[in-house]
Amino acid sequence: MLLLHQLSPMHWAYAGLAIAAITLVLQFVANRGLGLSSGLEDVCSLASSAPYFKRPELKDRWRFPFLFGLFAGGILSAASAGGWQPIWDAGMLDHALALSKPAKLAWFFAGGIFIGFGTRMAGGCTSGHGIYGMARLQPASIKATIAFMAVGTVTSNLLYRVIFA
Amino acid sequence: MSSLLFSLGVAFGLVLSRSGATDYDYIQKMFLFTDLQLYGIIGVAVAVAMPGLWLLQKRGTTLHGDPIKLTSKPSHRGNIVGGALFGVGWAMTGMCPGPLFVTLGEGKVYAIAALAGALLGTWLFGVVYDRIRAPLKMPAITAGPGAG
Repeated sequence: MLLLHQLSPMHWAYAGLAIAAITLVLQFVANRGLGLSSGLEDVCSLASSAPYFKRPELKDRWRFPFLFGLFAGGILSAASAGGWQPIWDAGMLDHALALSKPAKLAWFFAGGIFIGFGTRMAGGCTSGHGIYGMARLQPASIKATIAFMAVGTVTSNLLYRVIFA
Repeated sequence: MSSLLFSLGVAFGLVLSRSGATDYDYIQKMFLFTDLQLYGIIGVAVAVAMPGLWLLQKRGTTLHGDPIKLTSKPSHRGNIVGGALFGVGWAMTGMCPGPLFVTLGEGKVYAIAALAGALLGTWLFGVVYDRIRAPLKMPAITAGPGAG
């Protein structure tokens, strides 16, 4: 069951097919490679004048409408499933730690720093390396995907089978 | 073009939200190997996108007749070091960059904190890029570590 309204998740095969279809339409019609972590740079480039955020590739901000779509898709998913409402439930994390609200926000903020710094250093994330890059057998993507799957596995196992156990 | 990209984003957001990809517990269960849902999703997505992208490359042109531009991924030490750092963040939050935006839409309040952290992490990386570029063998700052 999902944390969102305790829904049963859709079948993995349909979800995988849909993601492949989105990847292919994005390439065939918009001529873009799926990959969302660069969207974080697009947002930073609005506010930062550091040379890194003035790179020519960031002039084209095609990811903005896609990111707004992701946000809208989240709203639509919640609203159509039983109503949109603020959700604090973080499932297993709450069972393990019973964090106060400020502490929970601090936990997610700290994790977020790793997401931003790490995906940009890697040159992609689950979508850009894990799906698009893996589908093209790019060596960079194979390395990055092995690294984030392996370290994610170690981290979750340390947290839930050692530290919180 | 913007409305197509927005629509694809909505579709992607709906699928990620309803399949467990934006769900803290499903991400933990993937890393703990207690539920294989997410492996199935990623596996099918890659297995179908692979021949699809190959066929598009063979065809050579987009729907509008432009040459297909497949994003290439520069290979450097940052792929592994950055991937490892991201693995820590993904396991801590149950979120990767796409789901950051979807969970925010779903109303998960802690997504605001994760997104703020991710933007800070991205900014920090941009600011230190020139100092860490050489040991990580990453491209010049004008090229960056690769889009994705």
